[in-house]
Amino acid sequence: MSDNLLEKANEILDKAQLAAAEFHQYNQEETDRIVEAVFKAGFKNRVKLAKMAQEETGMGIWEHKVIKNVLGTQLVYESIRNEKTVGVISSDPRTGITEIAQPLGPILAVIPVTNPTSTSMFKILICLKSRNPIIISAHRGAAKSCAETVRICYEAALEAGAPEDCIQMISSGSREFTQLIMGHPKIALILATGGTGLVKAAYSSGNPAIGVGPGNVPVFIDESADIPFAVKNIISSKTFDNGTICASEQAIVVMKTIEQKVRDEFEKQHCYFLDPEEIKKVEKIAIAEESMSMSPGIVGQPVAVIAQKAGIDVPDGTKILLAKLGGIGKEFPLSIEVLAPILAFYSADDYHTAVNMCIDLNYLGGIGHSACIYANDEKRIMEYAGLLNAGRILVNTPTSQGAVGYFYNLLAPSLTLGCGTGGKNITTENNTAKNLINIQRVSRRKPNELWFSHDQSAYYDESLSTDDIMKEYYKNH
Amino acid sequence: MVNFNYNPENKTFTATFVGRMDTLAVEKMNEVMSVNIPLSEGKSKDKIIFDLRDVEYISSSFIRICVSIAKQAGQGQFSIVHCQPFVKKTFKISGLDDILNVT
Repeated sequence: MSDNLLEKANEILDKAQLAAAEFHQYNQEETDRIVEAVFKAGFKNRVKLAKMAQEETGMGIWEHKVIKNVLGTQLVYESIRNEKTVGVISSDPRTGITEIAQPLGPILAVIPVTNPTSTSMFKILICLKSRNPIIISAHRGAAKSCAETVRICYEAALEAGAPEDCIQMISSGSREFTQLIMGHPKIALILATGGTGLVKAAYSSGNPAIGVGPGNVPVFIDESADIPFAVKNIISSKTFDNGTICASEQAIVVMKTIEQKVRDEFEKQHCYFLDPEEIKKVEKIAIAEESMSMSPGIVGQPVAVIAQKAGIDVPDGTKILLAKLGGIGKEFPLSIEVLAPILAFYSADDYHTAVNMCIDLNYLGGIGHSACIYANDEKRIMEYAGLLNAGRILVNTPTSQGAVGYFYNLLAPSLTLGCGTGGKNITTENNTAKNLINIQRVSRRKPNELWFSHDQSAYYDESLSTDDIMKEYYKNH
Repeated sequence: MVNFNYNPENKTFTATFVGRMDTLAVEKMNEVMSVNIPLSEGKSKDKIIFDLRDVEYISSSFIRICVSIAKQAGQGQFSIVHCQPFVKKTFKISGLDDILNVT
């Protein structure tokens, strides 16, 4: 490791630590004033930043990136503005426990190329709300738009009285440098949104990390579902920003009894079913053969570009390409996650086979992320939810917009979706400001009567049975 | 905001600060500090003490000034005394309490 890199890392972290020292002295009112100012500045620039991100990355649709920026600013702000994140946040006279919020310290926020400006603004807002300095680590493919986002937010924060260096940025031009920062002793937490390798590096750094996992979102359309409604919602989700959200639908599973109806509905709503030859051509450009992962070149691309790359003809205006596959796994490349408007399609003989297919898809690289069911049968909804290993089970909801919260449900608006231990994460929550504070618990003396009212010498008497001791323990005189 | 006192007997220069040491206050104090604090090249002949008993808030710019003066004064010649607990904790979080000899 070069001394130059170490010196650079130390300089950034020294500044961040000074900012942390100053920030911890801020009260709730001062903190909220900064958060409001940054929200307003980010929101005002939502269109400009969306266009910059689309132009720089060549991914997605700028109008949809505007909505993502709205999520990362307005909707996140709405959800955290009234939250207590400073000092006493709760006090319960019954339990005698008072909770005090403390900041964590410098947070390294890793930003993905798929949602650069929205994720940056989201992370800046939740870090400032919890009084933590943030160091944005931008993907090299989105460094310019992230830099502009940071500039806008930092200027607004300073204007509102925030500590100097409360927002800094590094560009991940060098993997060595990013890893150096990740493992730096002055980093309090890594907020890692990105690919599996990056999240693993964050968790392996020796510093605490909140990571995300990859998705491979199965959608089960039950016989009880409203099929036109389901198809319409799936299309609106899978085409949102050309499928760049990791919670976007990846595979549709139906029972044979409704297969034709679902296919007809997709076709009616301008989607195209690939024939076996076309599937092979799309597989070739969508999935990297060696790594069996999606090709970066098709991420966030519209159907027309994908069709051109694959050398296939599809009707003008086609929204999504669907591939009916005979199985799940490496032999069927399109059964893995593809962040583009391509969907795998499966037909099952019966309900149990259909749910088993969803479980297989869920475990093919998407454990812990999200799953979806379209149904009007509560029993089946709950059964499905209990069988899938997913942090979010979305019911009759487009998954891109549903998993990130606020639009279609009361999940916390977030661009860092926890995937639980299945996704090698510590939580299944939609991460937000409350995940970025240390909570101290002031516990006042409240002697437990059960403990003090029974004869504790019984614990030393081996001749007494467990039942005897428990009976004495719970004796209600 | 800041008062200076020199004790020739033990060759100790004390700066006593009062109030919030925010960025604005530090900017205003910069000149008066550079004029009054006896710093020379190399190790200072006098001990320099910052008394923060009446300080309730310190900005990062104030901590930076402390670091700069401590470096110029030389090892063992600078200390910060009588911090209120909240301010002491701030120095702890900055990771500079040892360098600044905060008590």
